[in-house]
Amino acid sequence: VSAGTSAGTATAEAVLAERTELLVDFIMKNCLWQFHSRAWDRERQNERILGMTSSLLQGQDVDHSTPEDRCYWVDALYLVESYREQYPWVNDLDVEEIRTLMQSVKDRTDHLTITGSLNAELTDKHY
Amino acid sequence: VPYHEFDCSTSIPERKKHAVIKGEGEDLTSALPLGYLNTIPGSISERGCAYCGAKHVIGTPMKDVIHLSHGPVGCTYDTWQTKRYISDNDNFQLKYTYATDVKEKHIVFGAEGLLKQNMHEAFDPFPDMKRMTVYQTCATALIGDDINAVAQEVMEERPGVDIFVCNSPGFAGPSQSGGHHKINIAWIDQKVGTVEPKITSDYVINYVGEYNIQGDQEVMVDYFKRMGIQVLSTFTGNGSYDDLRSMHGADLNVLECARSAEYICNELRVRYGIPRLDIDGFGFEALGSSLLKIGRFFGIEDRARAIIEEETARWKPELDWYRERLTGKKVCLWPGGSKLWHWAHAIHAEMGVDVVSVYTKFGHQGDMEKGIARCEQGALAIDDPNELEGLEALEMLKPDVIFTGKRPGEVAKKVRTPYLNAHAYHNGPYKGFEGWVRFARDIYNAIYSPIHQLGGLDISAGPIPESGGFVTRKMMSDINLPEEVRRSTQMREYTGKYDSVSGLRDREYPYLDELKAAS
Repeated sequence: VSAGTSAGTATAEAVLAERTELLVDFIMKNCLWQFHSRAWDRERQNERILGMTSSLLQGQDVDHSTPEDRCYWVDALYLVESYREQYPWVNDLDVEEIRTLMQSVKDRTDHLTITGSLNAELTDKHY
Repeated sequence: VPYHEFDCSTSIPERKKHAVIKGEGEDLTSALPLGYLNTIPGSISERGCAYCGAKHVIGTPMKDVIHLSHGPVGCTYDTWQTKRYISDNDNFQLKYTYATDVKEKHIVFGAEGLLKQNMHEAFDPFPDMKRMTVYQTCATALIGDDINAVAQEVMEERPGVDIFVCNSPGFAGPSQSGGHHKINIAWIDQKVGTVEPKITSDYVINYVGEYNIQGDQEVMVDYFKRMGIQVLSTFTGNGSYDDLRSMHGADLNVLECARSAEYICNELRVRYGIPRLDIDGFGFEALGSSLLKIGRFFGIEDRARAIIEEETARWKPELDWYRERLTGKKVCLWPGGSKLWHWAHAIHAEMGVDVVSVYTKFGHQGDMEKGIARCEQGALAIDDPNELEGLEALEMLKPDVIFTGKRPGEVAKKVRTPYLNAHAYHNGPYKGFEGWVRFARDIYNAIYSPIHQLGGLDISAGPIPESGGFVTRKMMSDINLPEEVRRSTQMREYTGKYDSVSGLRDREYPYLDELKAAS
């Protein structure tokens, strides 16, 4: 039983990793918002847009009443529609699975663009 | 980091960290070259200077302005006929080029008097031209000429005149990118907020980082107007000086070239609360999603969809014709700054070409992050390359075509690699749906040009064979295509006009006209 559970966990992790890579690669190839010039910009962009994307995929409404939020919302909506169209398995995920997947996407995007980035200009204090 | 060391640059060991190959399993945390650093002595860089980046890239596309260089006449080289940022006022900013023509005696005795005299002489023949930009150069910066003081005097002597001073001499940064930064900040500090915006629509944007190369801006503005959106200002292609002083009145900054203009967008967000939306005007998919995002921002998504539908139906069959003939062709994408990421994925996904190398002359590491993220595995990424490295890369990668500037482009021709002008274009505009097809047509014509049949013959090896006949482009491009593709009635070659821009200037825009009538 233990070996089976372990194998099942490993498979689930592999699936999560594979799906995360697909979704992150889509962002990298088709989006620009994750590459704003400074680390603090990127943290805000990733947090807001991927957070909204996760909520929308879960079927929740997001507040887009301010111009700033509307700007994040249009990028999030683009991701949601593209994911649903290009990766139909997204439509079969339950709320918890979406939450886990999108957290993984956020962590990976943060790693690639902020915490693991080799870009020496990210910590510049000025624009 | 999987650095790539060029054989020709082993004597400049610092160069090694400026090139990487994105190999199997590599990502941005392991494959990123250094960038935006001073050019290493001994490396013959292809970069421009900070003055060039401020004036010739960003300042001069403004159309209703006298643009004056304060310095030796040679600094104005990249102006008349060498830039292609056209305008709808008969290209005033291209036709008239001004320099104070500073000589050795002025370096010794000062050039402020010369500057003032030149400013008056420039204004005198154009009584309707009330706006001027003046650019510092290395020579006049070093002698300490106070351009601001002279500009103030001239403004007092000529009522109604407004002058912008850009203090970005050539040495003020590692490359032209330093000049982009300086003029962005100077403009928002000196000019934004000094003219009250004239708002004529409920949907108002600034279109930023767009320079109207062969009409790109006019193509995009046409889409915006068809959606009922007012473009309050364009920073700066085909842009008006006074419109740019009122940038603070927009609801949204739509940013195209982040490399050259993200600074002003960031500052507009911080100072005026105007959000920044980065878009791509190149490629059907990217352009379509960009229009859709802007439409959604304003709640007029249906108008964006109507444009996407109409334009796609009109131009997609023509893009497909070229895609069939370009698939698998190898491309070196070697532009100046932003096009490596604007184009890297879009040309692969929509034209089928493989990007085997990206480089940037003056981009920052952020541009390389975008470019490397968007290209496929195995691509060679080079920062601030020199001519020998370019030649070595061509020998190694054997691309079918390179997209670059006119100087490295001419070098590539010498080793018989076709080149397209990535900065000024060959037969642009390249933005917009039709523009993207024009780009595909230029790529096709470059790769399959019959001239290469003659160019490859060695005339020193003996008589040229005369019996082989002449092989046309289509004979070459279609030889391996399936019958159904060759005879397709769905796909077709480009059918647009030679001039795809001028006609846009006479268009009517029902949504905007309605607003005008209502007001």
